Amino acid sequence: MKIMKVKGNHLVLSLVCLVLGFIMAFSYHLTQLEHESERTSLSDNQYKTTLALRNQLISQEEANRKLQKELRQKQASVTENEKSLAKEAQVFTNLAEDAEKYRMFLGKVKVTGKGVKITLTDGAYNPKEQNINSYLVHEHHVFKVINELYISGAAAVAINGQRLTSHSYINCEGPVITVDGVQYPAPFVITAIGDPEVLASSINLVGGVKDQLVNDNIIFTLEKESEIVLNPILGG
Amino acid sequence: MWLPVMGLIIGIILGLLTEIRIPEEYSNYLSIAVLAALDTLFGGIRAYLQNIYDEKVFVSGFFFNIILAASLAFLGVHLGVDLYLAAVFAFGVRLFQNIAVIRRILLTKWSTKKEKLEKS
Repeated sequence: MKIMKVKGNHLVLSLVCLVLGFIMAFSYHLTQLEHESERTSLSDNQYKTTLALRNQLISQEEANRKLQKELRQKQASVTENEKSLAKEAQVFTNLAEDAEKYRMFLGKVKVTGKGVKITLTDGAYNPKEQNINSYLVHEHHVFKVINELYISGAAAVAINGQRLTSHSYINCEGPVITVDGVQYPAPFVITAIGDPEVLASSINLVGGVKDQLVNDNIIFTLEKESEIVLNPILGG
Repeated sequence: MWLPVMGLIIGIILGLLTEIRIPEEYSNYLSIAVLAALDTLFGGIRAYLQNIYDEKVFVSGFFFNIILAASLAFLGVHLGVDLYLAAVFAFGVRLFQNIAVIRRILLTKWSTKKEKLEKS
């Protein structure tokens, strides 16, 4: 009985000692680990390397910022260049369009469009008239028609298919009319590109060109055409 | 007699070998527990030397003090009051008192032994 009691006593004591030893050792171990981690985190060498790395990082960031600024400036200049290029392109397009338009006006290219076709034919022989000139188409008749057409907004005019330009000349040489050195006999077909309504109404004005021509015994016909094709000037 | 010593050694080995990581804020509780354990141990030794040793009181005091100290520290941390300082103070004072008492008892025992030896 006594032995059992002593043994139990020792068992309890050893349990207490075990717990104590465990707690103490664990605490010691933990503190040691903490110290170690502190030492490693605050060691001189590491501090130095950390500082160096941090400085490097800062310098890198500064460089980055500088480069970014530069990039932004470059991008702005690129945008500007692009804008000016776009503007230039637009100018060139406008110029090309203008050139095309001027070429059309000058008769360098074929042009098509709505317009009118006027035919002037010599009058029928009239025995009462002694003077043959009174029923022939003269160049001033042609002039009148052409001028009237130009005034009322014709973009292009041709006589018997030959385009007229700003320096064209029309001569009367007996029974034929010379347009820029090419001779054409009657009847004369004058084609003009423009608004057909406007052109026709201006020609048909009462007391206007048509009436004057008809008074001069000229057979005058006017047709509105939906499409007139004018060829470029030969040798132009 | 060798059984408690072996228990202590096994406990130390276990404590050194365990790889359990507890958060840093709980290491305070552990140190308080160590203090409480030491206090109870020295109290037990003193009681034994004064012949008023009671096993039940010792064992219950050992575990209860550890848990109480740890929970007090825990409560203090959560209340924002450094209650673990109170535990440290109380246990520290008692530790010193106990050690002083043990020292005196041992001294008187030693001197009486010496006297006995001289007499005989």
